[in-house]
Amino acid sequence: MNIEWILSNYGVLLPEAVLTLFAFAIILIGLKYRSILGYLAFVGGVVSLGLVIMNFSVNATLLYNSLVFDPLSQFFKVVFLLVTLLTIIASLRYYHGNAHQGEYYFLLLIATVGMMFVASANDLVSLFVAFELGSIATYVLAAFDKENPRSIEAGFKYFMIGALSSAILLLGMSLIYGITGTTNFTALSQMSFEMSGYTLAALVLIIAGLGFKMALVPFHMWAPDTYQGAPTVVSAMLAAGSKKMGFVAAFKLIVLALIALRTEWYMVFAVIAVITMTYGNLVALTQRSLKRMLAYSSIAQAGYIAMALVVVSYTHVDSVVNLAMGGALFYILSHAFMKGGAFLAVGTVGYMLLRDKIKVDEDDIDNFSGLSKTAPITAFSLTVFLFALAGIPLTAGFVSKLLIFSAAIYGGLAWLAVIAILNSALSLFYYARVVKVMYWDKPKFDLKGEPTAYVVAVLLALLGTVLLGVYPGPFVDVAMKVAEVFL
Amino acid sequence: MMFTISAMILIPFIGALLASIFRGGAKAIALVFSLVPLVISLVMYQQIHDPSTLSYVEHYGWISALGISLKFGIDGLSLPLLILTGIVFPLTIIYSWRLPYTPQVFYPLMLVLESALIGVFTALDFIIFYIFWELTLIPLYFVIGMFGGPKREHAAIKFFIYTHVGSLVMLLGVFALYFESGIGSFDLLSLIGAFATLPTDLRNIIFAAILFGFIVKLPSVPLHGWLPDAYCEAPTPGTVVIASLLSKMGAYGILRISLPMLPAVPSLTLFVKIIAILGVVSILYGAFLALAQTDLKRMIAFSSVSHMGYVLIGVASFSALSLSGAMFQMFSHGLIIALLFMLVGVIQSNTGTRMIPELSGITNKMPIVAFLVMGGFLASLGLPGMSGFVAEFLTLMGAYPSLPVYVLLALVGVLITASYYIWAMQRALFGPYNENLGEVKDVGAIQMLPMAILLGLIILFGLHPAPILKLFEAVAVFVEVLI
Repeated sequence: MNIEWILSNYGVLLPEAVLTLFAFAIILIGLKYRSILGYLAFVGGVVSLGLVIMNFSVNATLLYNSLVFDPLSQFFKVVFLLVTLLTIIASLRYYHGNAHQGEYYFLLLIATVGMMFVASANDLVSLFVAFELGSIATYVLAAFDKENPRSIEAGFKYFMIGALSSAILLLGMSLIYGITGTTNFTALSQMSFEMSGYTLAALVLIIAGLGFKMALVPFHMWAPDTYQGAPTVVSAMLAAGSKKMGFVAAFKLIVLALIALRTEWYMVFAVIAVITMTYGNLVALTQRSLKRMLAYSSIAQAGYIAMALVVVSYTHVDSVVNLAMGGALFYILSHAFMKGGAFLAVGTVGYMLLRDKIKVDEDDIDNFSGLSKTAPITAFSLTVFLFALAGIPLTAGFVSKLLIFSAAIYGGLAWLAVIAILNSALSLFYYARVVKVMYWDKPKFDLKGEPTAYVVAVLLALLGTVLLGVYPGPFVDVAMKVAEVFL
Repeated sequence: MMFTISAMILIPFIGALLASIFRGGAKAIALVFSLVPLVISLVMYQQIHDPSTLSYVEHYGWISALGISLKFGIDGLSLPLLILTGIVFPLTIIYSWRLPYTPQVFYPLMLVLESALIGVFTALDFIIFYIFWELTLIPLYFVIGMFGGPKREHAAIKFFIYTHVGSLVMLLGVFALYFESGIGSFDLLSLIGAFATLPTDLRNIIFAAILFGFIVKLPSVPLHGWLPDAYCEAPTPGTVVIASLLSKMGAYGILRISLPMLPAVPSLTLFVKIIAILGVVSILYGAFLALAQTDLKRMIAFSSVSHMGYVLIGVASFSALSLSGAMFQMFSHGLIIALLFMLVGVIQSNTGTRMIPELSGITNKMPIVAFLVMGGFLASLGLPGMSGFVAEFLTLMGAYPSLPVYVLLALVGVLITASYYIWAMQRALFGPYNENLGEVKDVGAIQMLPMAILLGLIILFGLHPAPILKLFEAVAVFVEVLI
């Protein structure tokens, strides 16, 4: 049991180990030195990200095949860590001087560790435990501004519905175990199921349980309230990172483990995807709170990503599955930048209002009037993020939609692509409205300068959004390569 | 030679970045950088050997998984449009020199627009074409929304969403073409070539979807709903660019993509009939709408619908003569409409109104403007000796053998066009001076310069169309052989 033996066998766990170590170190150091905690968390995130990228094309299983380390898990870990890093950078300013910083960064890192384990789970039990670890930490984070009743409400609602859906998910998983006698994904994927009342119940329960995390309609009710009430930096993390935990779990369970059943789910997913994108876009049209609007837009985006599940359950042609899943993965990466960036940009404005002691609802659309004059970098970046979410060319959003919509057409689901494209056109309306307010209305408040930490985070997200839009080739290739796991 | 087209696309974009950084020099930077594409396109004009085939082709990878690559090239169809783009942008920038637009915002937007337009006219990969096509909307959305007239918010969003939906329909058609043909590449020419191999009923749908996107942009009746608002609410430079260049994107798309597909369309006769009817209805309906307007800007906006109808006639004619006339109409209309909208801008800013009944006898006070208006109107109604005549005459003459009825109807349109222009001229320019207008100044030298250049070019190409026409003819003959 020397160190080399550990490294050669458990070395793939290093990113998670590093992050956990940093999390506990932060709690301890936070007792005495508060000002360095954010930077410490950042360093932890960067080291962990470096380790994941170094080990990107690994292929290993650990702990009796309950954890798997493959390009798919590494891809999602990269997404989670990128979002966490962006959140940490912005939090450097938002939680500067806060007495409970230690707990905040601890929870942030632990949530990330949980999400990373979800990405690596290869067993119903390890999936559920990791899922809970990733969720419970975010419940607390959502309620972290404990003087703000909205934040409390956000956390409470998120927790109640989250706990319920975990129970539902667990019930679905136990039914699967009851039917098959195994909890391992590899074993499950080789089973042949018979359609019965039990399998049907299991399917419904699992879809409901995971649909909550992905915020698919009709399991989305918590999302607008939570995203609006939670501290904006946390909303960014929830929408851009934590939501993807639901997607990776769904991909693993539905596309990989229950491969024998997925044909039965095609219509269910089709209905959910269509309702999710349409409902999200329609409700977003009328929102005055920008965080709510982004929440509904996030629901709509989940609908687009869920199209990949529809396509892979409809057709089993390898090239179609590869394109659909590759598209979904690329979309998830892009969405992390676009949505994370949009929330952080909204957070920047909220922070400036707070700092300049202007007492208004932090995210009302009126606050954004004439933002191009008072906060030009934030206004420009938010414009790019919103256009990216609408799928305008030369942004990550365009390439994502290009891939996923073309996968739908390739798979013979042209009607689904038509609905998605109409939705995409509809969404332009509410995104363009915000741009209009920022660029050609008169400034309402006199804001004094943009906070550096926020600007750095927003610009990094902007860089990601534009890079993936202008030079997508290598990233698409990586996503397609990773998606070969699903074949 | 390697990076000629990339340079053409990138240089205005770099100019936009510089102009947004150096506020003081924004105008000068914009002028210099907008001139570069003109210089490059003139050099290309000098060196191009065979305008019927592609030259200056550039090819780089982009998304290999889907077979999308950055492919650019020019031929006799795109080169004149590049020259037109190169002419109109610097002139518009000179025209805007003294206008009160925030320089570090307005000029970068114009330069980005120029980049995007050059991209549209040179792209040889469908997705890249689509990207530039959509990219033109963003700067215009801001130009209309930030610097436009009283109803600009409504106009900007309507323009944006209307044409965006049109483009999305087109994109769907191309997706279907790409996946059904299974060629694994979005290369424009390969896709068009693969079109004939598809199942028959699918070919009709795909052709219709792609045509739809182009017709919205052209625009043709009945899809012209975005046009009056966008044209009238946009600030003058914006209107000039939309009318002169953006509408050519639709025409260019039809000629570059739809026309070569047309022979393989199963319901060929039906589609030809539809295109011809759309053309004639646009010519007539646009002209009648123009006749009814009291707002000078609206009148010219509708005249634009009418004139773009000729392009559709040329497409439906299946004759090289008519086709080259229709192509020349794109070039000629681009110059004429730019002049007309610039003039309306001057009249409005100097007299305070652009309503025809309120403008009376302004010849006395603004002789230069009146002279230019007369020149522009006569050019637009097709007076021999000016470029509009060459274009419309060729289009109609070439189309007569195959579409006699439509040509006769279009001739009625010519008549109405003449009436609304002459009638407007009579009411607005001549007669007793409307004293309510007060003391009115004539146009200043800076704004006169671009307009005089445009009128000069209109007359030059009216008397001697060959330099541009020969490029179009080379392409048109080639297309006719194809058909």
